[in-house]
Amino acid sequence: MAFCRIPGANMQATQPTFFKQGPKPLTRVLIFSTLSVALLVGDAYYQMLARVREQISVLLYPLQWVATAPVNAALEASSFLQRQTELIAENRQLNDERLLAQGQAMRLKALEAENAHLRALKQASEHQPRQSQLSKILYNGRDPFGAKLVVDLGERAGVKEGQIALDASGVVGQVVRVQPMTSEVRLISDRGHMVPVMVERNQLRTVVYGSGRQNLLEVRNMPPNADIKAGDVLITSGIDGIYPPGLPVAVVSKVERTAGSAFARIQCKPLAGIDQHRFLLLMNPPATLPPYPETSPTPKPKGH
Amino acid sequence: MPISRQMLRPVGGGFIFMSFICAMLINLLPWQVTSVNFAPDFVALLIIYWTLNQPRRFGIAWAFTLGLLMDVADGNLLGQHALAYSIIAYLTLSRQRQIAVFPFWQQALITLALLLLAQSIMLLIHLLMGAQFIGWSYFAGSLLAAFLWPPLSNLMIMYQRKDVPDEL
Repeated sequence: MAFCRIPGANMQATQPTFFKQGPKPLTRVLIFSTLSVALLVGDAYYQMLARVREQISVLLYPLQWVATAPVNAALEASSFLQRQTELIAENRQLNDERLLAQGQAMRLKALEAENAHLRALKQASEHQPRQSQLSKILYNGRDPFGAKLVVDLGERAGVKEGQIALDASGVVGQVVRVQPMTSEVRLISDRGHMVPVMVERNQLRTVVYGSGRQNLLEVRNMPPNADIKAGDVLITSGIDGIYPPGLPVAVVSKVERTAGSAFARIQCKPLAGIDQHRFLLLMNPPATLPPYPETSPTPKPKGH
Repeated sequence: MPISRQMLRPVGGGFIFMSFICAMLINLLPWQVTSVNFAPDFVALLIIYWTLNQPRRFGIAWAFTLGLLMDVADGNLLGQHALAYSIIAYLTLSRQRQIAVFPFWQQALITLALLLLAQSIMLLIHLLMGAQFIGWSYFAGSLLAAFLWPPLSNLMIMYQRKDVPDEL
């Protein structure tokens, strides 16, 4: 914009440059500040700028790709140069494991067939195996206020809002914003992010809250006498309709029961390597839950 | 030596554009979570640099546009970088004639103040939206960026210094 409004050479020839500044900077800054604030308000409270964001993100995708390409290339090169002997040893070991796994797989197949039969009998859809996609992490969101990742699959790859992100050891987060080429994953450690969980040991239902990127997760509002102790594993309970049941989320690392307070202070460590991997599995959300019965009181607020 | 006392050849729009492409690339690098606070914001740094040295070609409108790009790239609230960048571009512009003749180390101090201001604006927006203060290490990147100012300025005018006096 500034390029076209102020033809530099022309002005220099006709006017003493010292006095000339173009349109007043103050008016310009006022215009752009107002515009920014309007955008902020529009984005924060009305979410009406999704289209704008999508357009800009397509523009940015080549840059994002170039920025991450060298790192990926270096990682691939280093893995290519692994020593031969290591590979051979690993190969042998994997062969052994494969044999073992095949045996188990045979048993699993029988179980699966049985399971499918039972499921057909029960006509329940919530435990259907779901479609999932492997996606690569492009980068961490730079914003230190939230805990977000940007991954390399977007709308074009069929990613949808509400999909959950997993790694090999547990839940990582949830897709919150989908752009044509990329999408944003909100980590479970993001402040205010809630996951409905239960204690694996005794099926005690509760909710685990994120409390900031580098902080541990928290279980709030549990009475001091609740049966929960350090070392308990929390798995998703599946009652929110977002996270399917049975996925490991966190392990309780500390339980403080202070005499004065109404609630126990329970801290948990996420099981998934939230800051460690380069690949995430995006899994489709469960099929829609049956509606609440009509006689029920107001529905409970759901965790997101 | 400040830029305004030297004989320099004009900067092309393409060079400015390329410098921002590079800055964006650095900002988009996959920073580790532990080091993300220390990563200097090169886009902000270059906005100050070009506003200071090419006030005719580079102004608040461009700062705003780049801010929008940064917002989308980071998945922030749309407009937080745009607001911060517009304001620092304006402040630079309003004292441009003074600051441009300062030696680099003084410019670095001013840059530090401007970058801290930009971060404070973003912090304020987050606080207004209900976030909690995340500790003083949030400002570490600006400190680092200010240290980078003199080498960056030298690097940028190296391009302009080439073979000018021969033609005169």
